[in-house]
Amino acid sequence: MATANPMTRMLTPEDLLTDRSLRTRWRIGFDRAVGWVLPLLFGVAILPILAVVYYVGSRALPTLTVTVLTSTSLTAGVDVLGVPIICTFEIMAVATLLAVALGLFGGIATAEFLPDRLAGWIRTTANMLAGTPSVVMGYFGYFTFVLYFGWGLSLISGAFTLAFFMTPYVFRTADLAFTSVPRHVREAAYGSGAGPLQYILRIGSRIALPQILTGVFLAMAIGVGETAPIVLTTAAATIVPHSLFSPATFLTALIFANYGSSLGAGYVNVAFQAAFILIVVVMLLNVLVRIVSARYQKKLEGLYL
Amino acid sequence: MSGAPVPPAASVLSVQHLSVLAKDRPILSGVSLDFAGRSLTAVVGPSGCGKTTFIRSLNRMVELTPGLRVEGTVLYVGQDIYDPHVNPVLVRRRIGMVFQRPTVFPMSVFENAAFGLRLVHESEEEIDKAVSEALRRSGLWDEVKDDLDRSALSLSGGQQQRLCIARALAVRPRVLLLDEPTSALDPAATQRVEATMQRLKEEIVLVLVTHNVGQAARVSDRVAFLHSGRLVEVGPTADILERPRDPLTVQFITGRFE
Amino acid sequence: MSTTAVPGPPAESQPVPPPSSPDGAPRTVRRRGAWILHTIVPLVPALVPVAIVVAIVFALLSLAGMSIGLSLTPFSFRFRGPVNFGWAFFGSDFAPPYHWEIGVFIVGSFLTAIPALFLSMAIGLGIAIASTTYLPRSLTAWLDPFVDLLAGIPSVVFGIWAYAYAAPYFGVTINPWLSMHLGFIPGFGGSPGLPTGEGLPVTIFILTLMALPITTLLIRDALRSLPRDLWESGLALGATRWETMRRVGLPHGMRGILSAGFLGFGRAFGETVAVAIVLGGASRYPTNFYGETGTMAATMFALLDSAYGNGQFLALLSEMAIVLLAITLAVNIVGRRFVSSFVGYEIAGM
Repeated sequence: MATANPMTRMLTPEDLLTDRSLRTRWRIGFDRAVGWVLPLLFGVAILPILAVVYYVGSRALPTLTVTVLTSTSLTAGVDVLGVPIICTFEIMAVATLLAVALGLFGGIATAEFLPDRLAGWIRTTANMLAGTPSVVMGYFGYFTFVLYFGWGLSLISGAFTLAFFMTPYVFRTADLAFTSVPRHVREAAYGSGAGPLQYILRIGSRIALPQILTGVFLAMAIGVGETAPIVLTTAAATIVPHSLFSPATFLTALIFANYGSSLGAGYVNVAFQAAFILIVVVMLLNVLVRIVSARYQKKLEGLYL
Repeated sequence: MSGAPVPPAASVLSVQHLSVLAKDRPILSGVSLDFAGRSLTAVVGPSGCGKTTFIRSLNRMVELTPGLRVEGTVLYVGQDIYDPHVNPVLVRRRIGMVFQRPTVFPMSVFENAAFGLRLVHESEEEIDKAVSEALRRSGLWDEVKDDLDRSALSLSGGQQQRLCIARALAVRPRVLLLDEPTSALDPAATQRVEATMQRLKEEIVLVLVTHNVGQAARVSDRVAFLHSGRLVEVGPTADILERPRDPLTVQFITGRFE
Repeated sequence: MSTTAVPGPPAESQPVPPPSSPDGAPRTVRRRGAWILHTIVPLVPALVPVAIVVAIVFALLSLAGMSIGLSLTPFSFRFRGPVNFGWAFFGSDFAPPYHWEIGVFIVGSFLTAIPALFLSMAIGLGIAIASTTYLPRSLTAWLDPFVDLLAGIPSVVFGIWAYAYAAPYFGVTINPWLSMHLGFIPGFGGSPGLPTGEGLPVTIFILTLMALPITTLLIRDALRSLPRDLWESGLALGATRWETMRRVGLPHGMRGILSAGFLGFGRAFGETVAVAIVLGGASRYPTNFYGETGTMAATMFALLDSAYGNGQFLALLSEMAIVLLAITLAVNIVGRRFVSSFVGYEIAGM
């Protein structure tokens, strides 16, 4: 072998792994810098959440008692939550049932029965519907239910308007849930002689159920947080509604009405308490969604082998 | 663990007691191997033997998998690539890699090949020269020279893979790592890539992971057999394939190579 | 497809070609009547969204066409009556019941939504890149859902926080600071507005935060869709993470990024309650960056009370609703074309 160290003979400037040229240092340095700066942007999203929760919590919790939550009669100077909570519950119940009735079957039908082109158009329409601003929905509800159907500003007007708002989410979820059933499951079902209805009822629904349930919870989380469709179609209620056509209120409507109330701290406090409850409810629904999703992943793992 | 008699000082790439450990088990244990300049070493073994992990340790791509620990070292022209002062970006310029599936970027053929060069802002003439040289070396030049601006996605699978090779060659590495580069290709395309490898082994160091022993027989100078993370045997191709010494090697070769 | 490959009800003497099915799954041959059952009947529930959209349009047109006295005649949507669609349309004399130009609100909606779009895209892009490229999974596993949580805060709750905290902060601290330091840019100087802070800056701030979950989610999905191979190929060529993301990841995810833009804009454009709480029923063209302006959605919401008895006023607000709806629908249709699936987007309130 040559007496000179073969390594120095081979080593060209490009081979140096400890290249200190400006360009390389800039490239590596920039990458490192980006790696520190960009994650900070998470703060832009997270800080407001914390700020809002703190703002609401700090004003709601000190005066929050069980009485306030459940009392349905007004005492002088203080508003209570019993009526709005019951109204919210009732409106959400009607709205959810209606939204499921309207959206579930349509979603399944689109996924299972319709030819592709038609299905595409219908999905586009559902997406358009999902994107309409809630205030436009409120106007729609006002015209259709309050005026045209003559139901007036009432619980049922609010519930129907909210239902129509929630429908596209349920529709899309049902559609997607059935569409994402693996091909081989579908083909196996048909290959065993099942008709479309049997497939849907016995097999498809079992697989799609968790996903649909998730979608319904999410639709509820969205619905319970909406203000415009309710405010425009219901009137403030001070007593528990005795029929579907009575005036009703909603947690969001209460917050909107009371936050700047000049009637005294007792009223303003209630707005914050309602806000707090609302946040808790929405968070709970989101947690529920994640739990259902996780269990669904586990249970149906074997489907995708 | 005997390799071909190459003095370590002259190796372009020298693997020294390399071990890669996951949380619960070792994936590679104490592998030592030297690669002389201008050769093609085929790394073979049953699935799960660690050959992909091995080749990915040679250019620090193994770091992309979380939870793995690397012990031992790899020397590139005498320099420790795992030295804390060395940035992987520089290692990968000198040690290129081609993957199992053709991974062309959604750009023109020219831009794909020029990718590595653009990172360091070479001049346009330099890039032009380097691109045509790289495409020639990978055997793709004649097929694309008339329209370098066409989308790389319009090429066939075999052409795309040769474009990936050209892309890696454009920055003039001394070592090229190929991780089962023909497993996604049809026989005709495979043959073209193998022809390219045979030409390239006269120019640089090639390390080829393959599950196809026939391919190893066709293109490699040397075969290294891995089993359960250990380097069982390594030697000139003919020796290993016709006269394997270790019983594990015998089992593997005869099972795969009738 | 074979029509008799499956055991099932025997083919009738008059075999009918099997109806087409979404993925060509084999179907049993059935009678003509069953064909109707299988195509027409499913159509009924499937058309529900279409029916609702039609009903909405009908409702808005009817409201808009109403003259004083609440006559509900459909299709009377000729823009007659008090709204003037000439140049005066963009006048700012919105002082019903004498002047009726709604142009100021259309401008206001854009003036607030467009900067919000850019900001939320920029921040969303940053967060998405950080999440997919730089942060370990142990962090992103809870950070990502945290950002999605932002979408879960009801609009009205956000609005009261903004009204009580964000707006005064803008009014007292941020606006004057901006006015001082950016005053050389035309429109950014001058009076920093009321200390209570209502005006463009805080509105843009709110809308940015409302659109952020959507843009972040969609861009993150778009970047995640980059196959691992391609990502590693970029790195294997000696590129840094940033370089690979910029040159390979972003171009690959461009469709998703575009859709993030459209859908984020749609969200910001249609945001109602939070803006209404902060801005009230403002109805002027702002004289500089810090002035108040009204958006369509907020005004529609805030002024409905005053419009209950007044048919013309109502008609006017409904015309605004039509414009708002038309723009939102258009933006949504374009935006959706780039999105391949809808998984989990409900989490972001879409």
